[in-house]
Amino acid sequence: MDLSALGICAATSSCIVTQVAAGLISGFLLFLVAAGLTLIFGVLGFVNFMHGSFYMLGAYFAYAAYAATGSYTAAVIAGAAGVGALGAALETSVVRRIYHADVLLQILVCYAFILIFDDLVGIVWGDEFLSMGMPSAFKRAPILLFGGVIPPFYLFLVGIALAIAIGIALLMQKTRYGKIVRALADKPGMVAALGINTQLVYASLFALGAMLAGSAGALAAPVRSMTAGMGFAILIESFIVTVIGGMGSIAGALVAALMIGLVRSFGSIGFPLFTEGLIFVIMIAVLVVRPQGLFGRQVREL
Amino acid sequence: MNGSVSRRSVIAAGVSVGMSGLAPGVFRQAHAESRPIKVGLTSIFSGRVAQLGITTKNGLLLEFEAFNAAGGVGGRTIELVDRDSKGKPEDAARLTRELIESEGCDIIFCGEASGSAFAAHEVARSSRALLMHVISETTQLTADAKLRSWNSFRSARQALHDSIVGGAFAAKIAKEQGLTRWATIAADYAYGREATPEFMGYVESNGAKVELVAESWPKLFQPDYTDSITKILQSRPQALFCGLWGGDLVSFIDQGNLFGLFDNVRVFAIHLADYTTLMSVKQLPAAGAFSSNRYVSVFPSRSENASWSEAYNKRFGSKPTNWSWEACVGARFVIDAIRRTNSAEPAKLAEAIKGMQVAAPVGMRDGKTVMRSEDQTIVDYALGWGRIVPNDPYLVDVQPADWSEVLRLETDWKRRVGFG
Amino acid sequence: MKGTLKEVAVVVTIIAGAVIFSGLVESGSVRDSIIRLCGVGLFALSLNLLVGYTGLLSFGHAMFFGLGAYTFAILLRTTGFGIPLAAACSIALSGAVAAVVGAICVRLTHVYFAFLTLAIQMLFYSLLIACSGLTGGEQGLIGGIPRPKFLGVDLMQPGEYFVFNIAIFVAAAWALWRIVRSPFGAALRMIRDNPQRAVFLGVDVYRTKLAAFVLASAFAAIAGMLTALYVSGAYPNFAFWTMSGEGLFMIMLGGVNGFAGPVVGAGLLLLLDTVVNAYTAHRGLFLGLAILVTSLGLRKGVVDFVRDASDGRFASERTGGRSKERASGAQSGLHEAAIQQSNTEGV
Repeated sequence: MDLSALGICAATSSCIVTQVAAGLISGFLLFLVAAGLTLIFGVLGFVNFMHGSFYMLGAYFAYAAYAATGSYTAAVIAGAAGVGALGAALETSVVRRIYHADVLLQILVCYAFILIFDDLVGIVWGDEFLSMGMPSAFKRAPILLFGGVIPPFYLFLVGIALAIAIGIALLMQKTRYGKIVRALADKPGMVAALGINTQLVYASLFALGAMLAGSAGALAAPVRSMTAGMGFAILIESFIVTVIGGMGSIAGALVAALMIGLVRSFGSIGFPLFTEGLIFVIMIAVLVVRPQGLFGRQVREL
Repeated sequence: MNGSVSRRSVIAAGVSVGMSGLAPGVFRQAHAESRPIKVGLTSIFSGRVAQLGITTKNGLLLEFEAFNAAGGVGGRTIELVDRDSKGKPEDAARLTRELIESEGCDIIFCGEASGSAFAAHEVARSSRALLMHVISETTQLTADAKLRSWNSFRSARQALHDSIVGGAFAAKIAKEQGLTRWATIAADYAYGREATPEFMGYVESNGAKVELVAESWPKLFQPDYTDSITKILQSRPQALFCGLWGGDLVSFIDQGNLFGLFDNVRVFAIHLADYTTLMSVKQLPAAGAFSSNRYVSVFPSRSENASWSEAYNKRFGSKPTNWSWEACVGARFVIDAIRRTNSAEPAKLAEAIKGMQVAAPVGMRDGKTVMRSEDQTIVDYALGWGRIVPNDPYLVDVQPADWSEVLRLETDWKRRVGFG
Repeated sequence: MKGTLKEVAVVVTIIAGAVIFSGLVESGSVRDSIIRLCGVGLFALSLNLLVGYTGLLSFGHAMFFGLGAYTFAILLRTTGFGIPLAAACSIALSGAVAAVVGAICVRLTHVYFAFLTLAIQMLFYSLLIACSGLTGGEQGLIGGIPRPKFLGVDLMQPGEYFVFNIAIFVAAAWALWRIVRSPFGAALRMIRDNPQRAVFLGVDVYRTKLAAFVLASAFAAIAGMLTALYVSGAYPNFAFWTMSGEGLFMIMLGGVNGFAGPVVGAGLLLLLDTVVNAYTAHRGLFLGLAILVTSLGLRKGVVDFVRDASDGRFASERTGGRSKERASGAQSGLHEAAIQQSNTEGV
């Protein structure tokens, strides 16, 4: 515990800028994964434990596309679209059949897929860690702001993530599709009675959630070393975000993800050994005081 | 099958089919001397450091295949049985025990990082099998007399040796270039916590002025090092000690480059000079990086080393790692002991291995590496520090260790911390 | 009374069987597999008191497995305590901690209960890592656990150690059996099936759930102690969420509707793991496919499936009811309806 270091940091602009930037960067990436999870969770009521695998596959698809084309844009599109398509296929073949099943069964099926995907990645891409490398467009000196350091690539990541966040918010709030989804979350029977093809909506929503995780994996591929099982850590963090922010709430996911990013970046200076612990303390506090999460509504129980 | 199957083992087999599917292990007891010598290996074959298990196993296989091709000893060949512990200590302990008890392995190679190595060590201590640690570099594993047992050996390098040599090397460069502000980063587990102060201690004791401005302890296998990087940047160090390895090290360097972390900082990274790591890092640190010789085929620059590297490459289609040579040396001690004693009896082998010298690609005493008898760990292996360059041979200007000096300082150290 | 006598006879027979068995079988591997099954099987059984009998989906049960293991190991290593005293202290501590954790958790239902237990367990895990002076941090407690003789029992002797494990397991399982057969057990099932009715009948739902939580945790601590002795150490993974996940997996595999289901599940998992590990490098692929086939194919635990299949009439009745449920869009599955109900009523 070194709170004086935290105090010194808080007094210097360079430290604040760098740590805030670092917190936002990891926060926004986490948000992309958690946003998909919270949608699937909040609307479909499905405990998607294989969400981390989507993140992993996004990174690997991007790696393959980048190796083939040399284009980062193509890589990100391959990661997002590939995982989106996989999500749609999984939904229609398996997940659809267990929406109403016991949570235990859902988790078990997801666990099976995690094992299978991890192993397949090992078979296709090898067990050794891979690294995609920085696209040449981003090979620039970091930007200096009030003495703080911000890499241009991370600035780009934050921009893209923000754009996606706004895009999803618009999709959910302003479009007919969004209205149907929100209605589904509250009264699924009613929506079906109105003659809307709910199965199609479910499948598309699951694919959208998967695509978000896949795009996060693809976007982050240049700065993460890839390996089978890399989805595990981010899965747990995404669940924390979902719980703190409130299941089904995009805004909640954003706030919670940024909060975790900032706790982590400032925690590493002030109390490096207990950063994880503090995050769980926050989660416990939220669950005890406000079980539905900061932005969650007291909706039907899942 | 020769000999008769006793009533007892039939019952045992029946029960074991029911309980664990391990019946073959029981039937195997009935075989006599013609059976192969079963040798066990537990290591990490999945996840981020699967490379550790794979290249360790390769290092062993190369030796065993040669042994078997030469006809083995008395018609007995070596058969390797491997298990994936996934790096979990409790699994390492359990699998080690299963290899000994159900698979009937009298010889175990422990391809585990520090936490799991201690767990396997405990199992071996209460068994009669021979255990060869081929991966764990944690000093305490062999330095702490309380942990020693007659049947446990280590054929891996020792963190303390690297710190002694690296500390002196870093101190020289620090004095030349006026580096005084140091930061450190290492994973938060036994090895990292031990190696960091050891290394920094030797930088200081070699007369360099050290002001420690930041310490960072990310978790093992952490995906994102942004927090550590910004923390280190804040402290504006001139030099950085880095105890990370494998994918962690690659991630850290790739991410650090984005922040320009290495523009003004000299990096002393113990684990950088290993082919798989070097080839995965997209852009090596700009202002200069230094590393211990994990494994490069040019150091020691002897034909045995180059030809071993080539043989490995030919057999497995990739270059050997530090783990490969550690496994190779471990296998050679065991094979030599089997040949000398004409037996696979652990007690006889252990007696033979104590103080044994074997020819090794990394041998530094006339091409040989020595198993020191007092603490059953190796000395006189290739040990040196050099400067990293972006292409083959990757490690240049290597300063080889003076082993007599290393051993002197090691004795001092043991006395100081109470292991002597 | 007669039932109790019969049960005592069963318990004694099993233990006597273990004694004879250990005399007959020399293979360490068979013994080892059974000893290992005692630890994880008891863990799964204790978890099922919450999941199967009370309808509380705990994702943090491994915390008490770890707490028991660590306390027991640390006491044996650092104090002069014998095994009985160290065990008693560990159970007491685990129970006390469970009372505090449970008091916070059992107010919540279903998914929220699952997440809260998960979070508290992870907090405990962080503490295990952070307090490295006491716990050895990331690398766990190394250097072995002593097994001092007690009451004439020498656990350094493989035979006695084997019988000891069987005896503890059978005694604990019997205690759990008595608990679920008692009026208290009936109250638990009522809370699971119809909490409102329980309230009407004067059951204090909060206290009953809390008591179940504390009991389950105490038994998990015993399971942790057996396992700590077996691997001769205690490791942070004991308290990691994957351990809780494995417990749920065993229950799911075996089935929640029979008392012994979790133990069968634990045995199946160990068997699967051993076989798959021994014969293929692609453990994930095969294990994953096996899980998929069993979980999607049976849609219930193996014990449940076998029981239902052997009783054809009963089985067809059940599946008939179930497909009707599914058609109306209601929840199907093991005891989803019960959980659903308990939530909407906001106990």
